[in-house]
Amino acid sequence: MAAPNLMIKKRVLLLLVFFTLAAIGLMIRTGWWQIYEGERLQKEAIQQQTRDRIINSKRGTIFDRNGKPLAVSASVETVSAIPNEIRKAGNAEEVAAKLSQILNMDYEEIYQKITKNSAYEIVKRKIEKKEADEIRKLKFKGIHLDEDSKRYYPYGNFASHVIGATGFDNQGLFGIEAKYDKYLKGLPGRIVSAKDAIGTDMPYKYEKYINPEDGVNVVLTIDEVIQHFVEKHLETAAIENKVQNGAAAIVMDPKTGDILAMAVKPDFDLNNAFQIQNEETRKELEKLTGKEFTDRYGIELGKMWRNKAVVDSYEPGSTFKIITSAIALEENVVKPNDMFNDIGYVTVGGRRIKCWRSYNPHGIQTFIQGVQNSCNPVFIEVALRMGAEVFYRYVKAFGFMEKTGIDFDGETAGIFHKLKAFNELELATASFGQGFQVTPLQMVTAVSAVANGGKLLKPRLVKQFLDKDGNVIKNFEPEIVRQVISPETSATLRGILETVVSEGTGKNAYIKGYRVAGKTGTSEKLPRGNGKYIASFIGFAPADDPRVVVLVILDEPKGDVYYGGLIAAPVVGKILDDTLRYLEVEPKFTEEELATMEVNVPELRNMDVKQAQKALKDVNLKYKIEGTGNTIIDQTPKPTAKLQENSVVILYTEGAGPVSNVTVPDVLKRSVLDANKILTDSGLNIKIIGSGTAMKQEPAAGTIVSPGTVVEVEFRHTDVD
Amino acid sequence: MKGRGAFDFGFFLTVMILLSFGLIMVFSASSADAFYRYNDSYFVIKRQLIWAVLGLFAMFFMASFNYKRLDKLAIPFLLLSIVLLAAVLVVGTEVKGAQRWLGFGGLTIQPSEVAKLAIIIFFSSRLSKKKDKIQKFFTGLMPYLMILGVIAALVIMEPHLSGTVVIILVSVILLFAAGARIFHFVILSLPAIAGLVYAVIIEPYRMRRIVSFLDPWQYKMNEGWQIIQSLYAIGSGGLFGLGLGRSRQKFLYIPEAHNDFIFSIICEELGFVGAATVIILFIILIWRGIKIALNAPDTFGSLLTTGIISLIAVQVIINIAVVTSSMPVTGMPLPFFSAGGSSLVFIMGGMGIILNVSRYSNCNRG
Ligand SMILES: [Zn+2]
Repeated sequence: MAAPNLMIKKRVLLLLVFFTLAAIGLMIRTGWWQIYEGERLQKEAIQQQTRDRIINSKRGTIFDRNGKPLAVSASVETVSAIPNEIRKAGNAEEVAAKLSQILNMDYEEIYQKITKNSAYEIVKRKIEKKEADEIRKLKFKGIHLDEDSKRYYPYGNFASHVIGATGFDNQGLFGIEAKYDKYLKGLPGRIVSAKDAIGTDMPYKYEKYINPEDGVNVVLTIDEVIQHFVEKHLETAAIENKVQNGAAAIVMDPKTGDILAMAVKPDFDLNNAFQIQNEETRKELEKLTGKEFTDRYGIELGKMWRNKAVVDSYEPGSTFKIITSAIALEENVVKPNDMFNDIGYVTVGGRRIKCWRSYNPHGIQTFIQGVQNSCNPVFIEVALRMGAEVFYRYVKAFGFMEKTGIDFDGETAGIFHKLKAFNELELATASFGQGFQVTPLQMVTAVSAVANGGKLLKPRLVKQFLDKDGNVIKNFEPEIVRQVISPETSATLRGILETVVSEGTGKNAYIKGYRVAGKTGTSEKLPRGNGKYIASFIGFAPADDPRVVVLVILDEPKGDVYYGGLIAAPVVGKILDDTLRYLEVEPKFTEEELATMEVNVPELRNMDVKQAQKALKDVNLKYKIEGTGNTIIDQTPKPTAKLQENSVVILYTEGAGPVSNVTVPDVLKRSVLDANKILTDSGLNIKIIGSGTAMKQEPAAGTIVSPGTVVEVEFRHTDVD
Repeated sequence: MKGRGAFDFGFFLTVMILLSFGLIMVFSASSADAFYRYNDSYFVIKRQLIWAVLGLFAMFFMASFNYKRLDKLAIPFLLLSIVLLAAVLVVGTEVKGAQRWLGFGGLTIQPSEVAKLAIIIFFSSRLSKKKDKIQKFFTGLMPYLMILGVIAALVIMEPHLSGTVVIILVSVILLFAAGARIFHFVILSLPAIAGLVYAVIIEPYRMRRIVSFLDPWQYKMNEGWQIIQSLYAIGSGGLFGLGLGRSRQKFLYIPEAHNDFIFSIICEELGFVGAATVIILFIILIWRGIKIALNAPDTFGSLLTTGIISLIAVQVIINIAVVTSSMPVTGMPLPFFSAGGSSLVFIMGGMGIILNVSRYSNCNRG
């Protein structure tokens, strides 16, 4: 046989060339996919190969100004299932049975979820650590536990409208929780794990854990203690006066613009923020279904969550006379002792505008007396003296035509006349606070400017941001918006407003030991004539160096009376009394106040008679001994009860005869002196609250009590507006 | 007659490297699939190892079996393969809608693998004897084409399209190497092209199948799915790869990653460096093989070697072209790498024949 011929060799070599070129061509093609297109392909590949699980970051805590936690997040866990893995393990029934037992859920519901044709199913969210640990122990394939967090509000209903609540995904829905959501929520982390084409985890470890970043802690300007005082007194007032449209109160530090307390009633429990509190509304809602239900439910939730103190505007009424006075004094159109004569009405632009006490005109009075009397014609007169333009300019300067800029969502700016439509008649009514609307917050901010020497401050609810170790990330400094009136005008007006409480229509805000300044307000809601009123009082104390400004608004009281001076002023008085004591503002008692000082009843039981007599003498209390023994067995009132000096404590010794109980007499409508005499004569003690005429007594008349019992009597001045 | 020398060591070494490399990659690529399917990561590699050992026996046997004696066996062997191909259509085992396997006790073989070698041996034998006649169309070329036609028809009836393609291509290459006129091939290709056009016209979906490789993303959810998964694997490898055993695409994204798409897994795990190494190994194998063909003592040995090398080359080129989306998808295994059972034995047997030819090489003499 012969060796292959030349043509065969040439053709075989040609084949070698062809195969080699083809192979090199494919090598280049491969390199093109791997290097030139590699990044894109790898990205797409990883996208299909991995599963992202979000780990919620821990939401920041909301603290009060002294570091008390008001909203905290606790670690909980979310149970999820990867149905494919469970299908592979083939124990869906067992998993469902165990989970339903641990999670207290329906077996069918869980079974449906874990066998569903999907890549990932959430079984239950936000379960407690204990349950999560039990599930972990079972080591079920395809059941995963992810960290999550849940919001707790340790004080429940406390400051609910301010703090706000969070939704299912821990997102802030309203209040501070919403306003600072961006900071509170932190940065969520992720678990990236590899999955195969049918959605189950790859058998080998390919997991990347991106740590969540915790949220910022927010420190409010709210003082938990003061907020509690406000909540307590406002709640009582809202119930007693059967307010139909809610009540609101704000306490502000006039020197910094800090909101120390802000309360709205009725409130709701932040831990249960999605439940409508009003029972009637809830019953109505139960009758609805579908879209009707969701629409109505949304509206009702919005109403319940609405922070009246910032969002709602109202007609300020006579409280606005503070602003009119400030403008008049600043513009020098009036001096405190200028004389005015009220004949019950004034005629402006052909219309007769009456004084609130036109049935008994105030007659000749100084400007100061005019303010004390809240006499409308006086304010109309000074407003006309300054003219519409000046008045308008100041109303604007006091911030009534813009939002205060508080760090809270949903603030409104109130409604005032347009300058070109602001004529004599509008000016006349505006001078005593009618014909326009302001928000409670605007009112407090403006009066703070009057109280602090004339500086309008930007109110604030947040003091600082802290990191999780308590280091300050950011401090919010007080911000002065503008100087509105001079410090001199401020001082003069503070003095005048103090007399409103000490001598005028604001007497019911009076408290012992502190100089309270303030102004009453009552306005009839539109449309007028429906008997719907807003009663308010705004006050501050101490008048010479104001520490707090307090506004209380009762919207549509349906009790016997609706005057702000009667129902709102005492609330402000009580809030001021508690707050100033808490702030350790030194009380300064007048002679008269010192004469009616209250003392604590000492513990006398087990003492001998001599000792007891001395102990009572030390605190200026009198005594009456029942029985003939030498040792005190019992006493009325019991220790730590408060009694006015010179009240009588009944001491029981051995051999005391059967105690003859007494019937509480009726002291309503009596003066302080009369009531005191009637009760003392019956062998009872009196606790005097306020001054004026007795409006309320506790225990009620006719109740049988033991001698020496303290009867609380609340007095009010009724000559108020 | 020249005496027997030592076989070509370079060729032998390349074969051994490819075989070992192939086994490693079969293990890596099959572990996930085997784990899911049989709950045993070693299921596929255990079987492949057995085939590799049988393959080594086949290679060493053929390396010492004088190839010239194959000349005499050419016709019986061809007849045997035709019988087997006919038998598989009757009693073959059906897998995924195709009857390709014949069982002998515990073993299964693919008659198409037998046919590939048989037709190479037969063509080489006949062409080496009637060298010049091949230039004539009817008396020279036609008889080969008729035999090829019979075998191709039997294979395509299984149906086994890629096997048919390989058999036709390798036969045409052999005819070409032996000196057939290129003009004749051009004439013959005309009816083939016409047939293809007709096939597309009567079933337009075939066109989509054929062109889907040009833009697989356009057909992502159907025709393009498999090829995109392959490209994801290739692209994920980058220059140096994710590391041996670290493929993620083998987790069911590429079904049976140890079969036709094993090259994609090599790319993913070993990067461009690994892929280029595989291709270069094949180039070396082809080069050494062609060198043996050129130095063969006779035309039979030369054509035999060329045929077997072409068989490897055609499969490698088509396989890599498919997985890199350079041509329409056909199920072509990658020699030495794809876990195909008995086919490895036939490949190794073929390698043995080449090694045997190399022992009589002109260069090897004294
Ligand atoms: Zn008057």
